[in-house]
Amino acid sequence: MDFIERLRAEFPEGFLTTEPSELAEWGRDWTRVHAPTPSAACFPRDTQEVARLLALCNAHGVKVVPSGGRTGLAGGAVAARGELVLSLSRMNRMEPVDVASRTVRVQAGAVTEAVHQHCAPHGLTWPVDFASKGSSQVGGNLSTNAGGVKVIKYGLTRQWVLGLEVVTAAGEVLQLGGALEKNNTGLDLRQLFIGSEGTLGVITAATLKLAPLPGRADVALLAVPDVAAVLRLFRDARTAALPLSAWEFFTEACLRRVERHRKLRSPFDARHGCYVLLETEGAEPAALEAWFARAFEQGLAQDGTLAESPSRGKELWALRESISESLSATGLPHKNDIALPIAELERFCGALDAVFAARYPGFEVCLFGHIGDGNLHVNVMKPDGMDKADFLRHAAASDEVMFSLVRAHGGSISAEHGVGLLKKKHLHYSRAPEELALMRAVKQALDPRGILNPGKVLDP
Amino acid sequence: MKILVTAKRVEDYESKIKVKPDGSGIFLEGLKYKINPFDEIAVEEGLRLAAKHGGEVVVASVGGKEVQEQLRHALAMGAHKAVWVNHAGPLDQLGVAGLLAKVCEQEKPDMAILGKQAVDDDQNQVGQYLAELLGWGMATFASKVESLESDAEKAKAPGLAVSADGKAVRVVREVDGGLDTLDVQLPAVVTTDLRLNQPRYASLPGIMKAKSKPIAELTPAGLGVDVTPKLTITKMAAPPARKAGIKVPDVATLVEKLKSEAKVV
Repeated sequence: MDFIERLRAEFPEGFLTTEPSELAEWGRDWTRVHAPTPSAACFPRDTQEVARLLALCNAHGVKVVPSGGRTGLAGGAVAARGELVLSLSRMNRMEPVDVASRTVRVQAGAVTEAVHQHCAPHGLTWPVDFASKGSSQVGGNLSTNAGGVKVIKYGLTRQWVLGLEVVTAAGEVLQLGGALEKNNTGLDLRQLFIGSEGTLGVITAATLKLAPLPGRADVALLAVPDVAAVLRLFRDARTAALPLSAWEFFTEACLRRVERHRKLRSPFDARHGCYVLLETEGAEPAALEAWFARAFEQGLAQDGTLAESPSRGKELWALRESISESLSATGLPHKNDIALPIAELERFCGALDAVFAARYPGFEVCLFGHIGDGNLHVNVMKPDGMDKADFLRHAAASDEVMFSLVRAHGGSISAEHGVGLLKKKHLHYSRAPEELALMRAVKQALDPRGILNPGKVLDP
Repeated sequence: MKILVTAKRVEDYESKIKVKPDGSGIFLEGLKYKINPFDEIAVEEGLRLAAKHGGEVVVASVGGKEVQEQLRHALAMGAHKAVWVNHAGPLDQLGVAGLLAKVCEQEKPDMAILGKQAVDDDQNQVGQYLAELLGWGMATFASKVESLESDAEKAKAPGLAVSADGKAVRVVREVDGGLDTLDVQLPAVVTTDLRLNQPRYASLPGIMKAKSKPIAELTPAGLGVDVTPKLTITKMAAPPARKAGIKVPDVATLVEKLKSEAKVV
């Protein structure tokens, strides 16, 4: 019997679909580089079904792509080689919030924003936050160790997980960590699965660690002439010990695309080179205003606005959060997500300008990102008259130059987007051969038949 | 030209507003506030007219000391001074209009610009009461305000009946089914509609400067206005929740339901 037919027979009705229009959706993420060609998409309802499915796939050598909200930007959830998509979407139950221990147990398919809404009435939140929170799922956030806009205060996803339930390639169910804040009992296997992009096991549930909802949040947008000025201002904010919960920046080119696509408006009459969006949590209004006053006195900022209400703050955030979408809607961006040590950022950006001038003369380069974490999103836009294939070839060759520069400055070629399919061949710029060999050994130990998300992160 | 504008403190629509189970009001814990968006449009219009024709903008608000936040916001946008009528107790629309009328008598503006309504209770009454109490002309729901103060502007508006002092405004207002143009002699009350302008963001230098601008404090007793509400709220209730949608298997069923149940085709 055909494997798909066998699954149909062994699992309840509605367990899988082979409808081509649906498969096209379930087989892709937010990248559009590889065409989706999954053989089927499965929707288990509980951990036991995931375990049975994986045991069967392992026995028959059927390859599986674990799948969450599919908002990734590195192709980690793309099924482009006839794999079976294992969607956790139906496993979205959330247990009651444990207020005393500040934890909540959720299934992997719970949507990030739903978790926030579930916890908010208790004055708590899971501080993992980004523009795609309305679609992304907890399982995907964990598998990719997602970053986002509040990393500067809260760190990455891996810091907000106490326990994990993982199904291995062979179909064994592992309970890792439980709800323990402290558990010094040998290797921390949880952290092995977090950030492994579905190549070592399938996360089916997690006990999340929660933080108190911030009381007062202030949002400001400042206009500065260039990236160097962004960094000067950042140094000053850190020196003043502002309680920053976000320090984002974007260039004028990004703002113009956002104005064009989303019809949003700049708060400023004049145009400027760069903009900084900063958010503080629990800042003393007087201290904050004193810092702003000093920043203007010292000429660190050219113009600025402070949101007077939460709805105004949301309008300012919309300028930053609409960038990715606006770039894709108004053109073809070639995207990179790199990280540098904060201390190297200024030197790196100077050197990067020289690379752009040499490799991309006259191209539109849209820079933005979580610069307070040392994270830059580099987007080169395809010129209108240029052929798409020529552009992608040229961009790929230019990447090598940029990644060499990243390596020279001690940076990472993928800050928060992960490796997936798109960054795999560049992994050697950030990880030593000895590290890659160790990573292969771990993969071999946990998934000897190579059925879990094959071709992602590493080749065997 | 001297212009008086208003700045009511209202709940921010980013706040989750919940009605108390006994219907006596809403839960106030954790609510965030902002300037009434229609009033913010009034402030912006006042600032634009004052910038174009010279003059000053006075912003007024009624409430407890927290309304100073909204007054400061208007000052940060560029208003020149603020008048705060300190009253923490309950108020109805006639009470507010009575207080604003006394403020107008003191400040003697050429024009009072108010939001057409506040987004908290959507009453749409204060501007109209104010015009009546002052005996001024009135143009509600303005989507365009143009001063006809100079001779050149009057010449561009033939047919306008202007008083001997030559001061008037032309107001284009949104009405059901189209636009209505009114020429109103000053002093007058104008209320603002949504499309009149897009209010500016208060600049940080403006916010700093607003700290040293004066806020004059008045009281209902000092103004000689009895603000005992004539209106009492007997019960508050949330609107009925929307019913969940249904999925239909195919287009034929959809068309059938649109015909038989929704009766729209």
